[in-house]
Amino acid sequence: MNKRYVMVHDENKCIGCQACNVACRSENGVPEGVTRLQVRVEGPFGEMPNLHFKYHRVSCQQCEDAPCVKVCPTGAAYVGEDGIISIHTDKCVGCMYCVAACPYKVRFMNPETKAADKCNFCKDTRLARGEEPACVTVCPTDALVFGDANDPHSEVAIMLNTKITYQDKTHLGTKPRVYRVPTKRGGIGL
Amino acid sequence: MNNTWGGMAQYDPVTWHWVIAVYLFMAGLSAGSLLIGISLRWANNELSTGAESGILKAAAIIGPVAISLGLACLVFDLTKPFHFWLILIHYNFQSVMAIGVLALLAYSPLAFAYAVLVLRDDLPKWGLGFLTPVAKLLMPFRKLIEVLLFVLAIGVGAYTGFLISAMNAYPMLNTAVLPALFLVSGLSAGAAANALLALVMFKTDSHDKTLVKMHGLELPVMAIEILLLFMLFCALYFKGGAAAAALASLSSGLWASVFWVGVIGIGFGIPLLFMLLPAATRHTKGAMIMVACASLTGVLALRHFIVYAGQSYLS
Repeated sequence: MNKRYVMVHDENKCIGCQACNVACRSENGVPEGVTRLQVRVEGPFGEMPNLHFKYHRVSCQQCEDAPCVKVCPTGAAYVGEDGIISIHTDKCVGCMYCVAACPYKVRFMNPETKAADKCNFCKDTRLARGEEPACVTVCPTDALVFGDANDPHSEVAIMLNTKITYQDKTHLGTKPRVYRVPTKRGGIGL
Repeated sequence: MNNTWGGMAQYDPVTWHWVIAVYLFMAGLSAGSLLIGISLRWANNELSTGAESGILKAAAIIGPVAISLGLACLVFDLTKPFHFWLILIHYNFQSVMAIGVLALLAYSPLAFAYAVLVLRDDLPKWGLGFLTPVAKLLMPFRKLIEVLLFVLAIGVGAYTGFLISAMNAYPMLNTAVLPALFLVSGLSAGAAANALLALVMFKTDSHDKTLVKMHGLELPVMAIEILLLFMLFCALYFKGGAAAAALASLSSGLWASVFWVGVIGIGFGIPLLFMLLPAATRHTKGAMIMVACASLTGVLALRHFIVYAGQSYLS
């Protein structure tokens, strides 16, 4: 059966510490000034005393119907056999069509390779070794869960079946594979 | 801003800048100029071997020169300009850009071939006499080159619109009217540039038959352009949400000024006002040059408005 790698970000557990952000930079050698992953702390929202923050993970959504892959003129942006959207750096001319077309604005030009860059779930490094992406491993509160949603016994499949989740900008038909568990209002309950 | 999560510079939704707006303008200008030049030649039933009209000569120069300048903009805007050949050997046919590359690969050399053919009598004057045998060689294929170039010019003119309307991230760009708007405003720019070059370079008389015929096209083309712009904004308004929010670009910020002053005031206003002048005045060389410059400025402003305002609002 085909793999369907997904990530779930539990916004209740996330504390916005950016450990994922730093781990990603170190694992993938992301240069200064650009980033594949950040967690934006948005808010506070609501009325005192019922305030809440939103912890918004900003990284490649690994769309199942990816605009970046469709627009790339050379096929540098491609869907791998594992379904993961990745970039052939040596095929990229740097036209930035993918950067413009991405509705989530999570693609950028890597100042060192001059090619488009973004999160690929650590496909070539940790995933190839059978490990989880760096951000998932490093998260101190276990707010990130990663796995194959097509395996019914995987932790992500169970989470998607039992928890309320949402995805960003579903109205664009991109079918993002980053799911989010929304923050509960009125106190912390895990 | 010093956020805990790091810099935000890479998240600016405006990815493509003025260089791309200039490229879109040049591609539209090249295609529009050739479309107008060739259509008028057909409409006048000009003989293949007779003297060429100043308008066609102008189009034959603008066609290849504008597309070359546009492509130079495009290549040097790449982050890897010296790897541009990668785009010529790898094709993803889902991508509008890849289809555009193919169209341009056929269009650009044909535009040069057509220039050599049309300007055959002027070549020796410009020290390009060595091209005269090439022109003689191409002469028997004139009709074929003309028809192919005409079809490809429609493709190139519309392609620039399809290129940016393919991105559903941007509600103002992701509309069906954009390719039509770009094609029609390309015609407007093409007619203006043809007139300018014919009057200045080929000393065409301002009462020349072809020039007058082309002049007659300007009002209907402008009317269609205004209609398409109106349709674009109506579509955004009625779609609501992020699309309607993008209409703020018409009322605030730098791009609102570019639209109202550049596109509407200079691009449509000046040519329309000149049409109200007495025939003797508006058909002078000076008036025609001024109207042509105003139209070109308007079209260039439109490309900038669409590129910048379009990218400023996300779905």
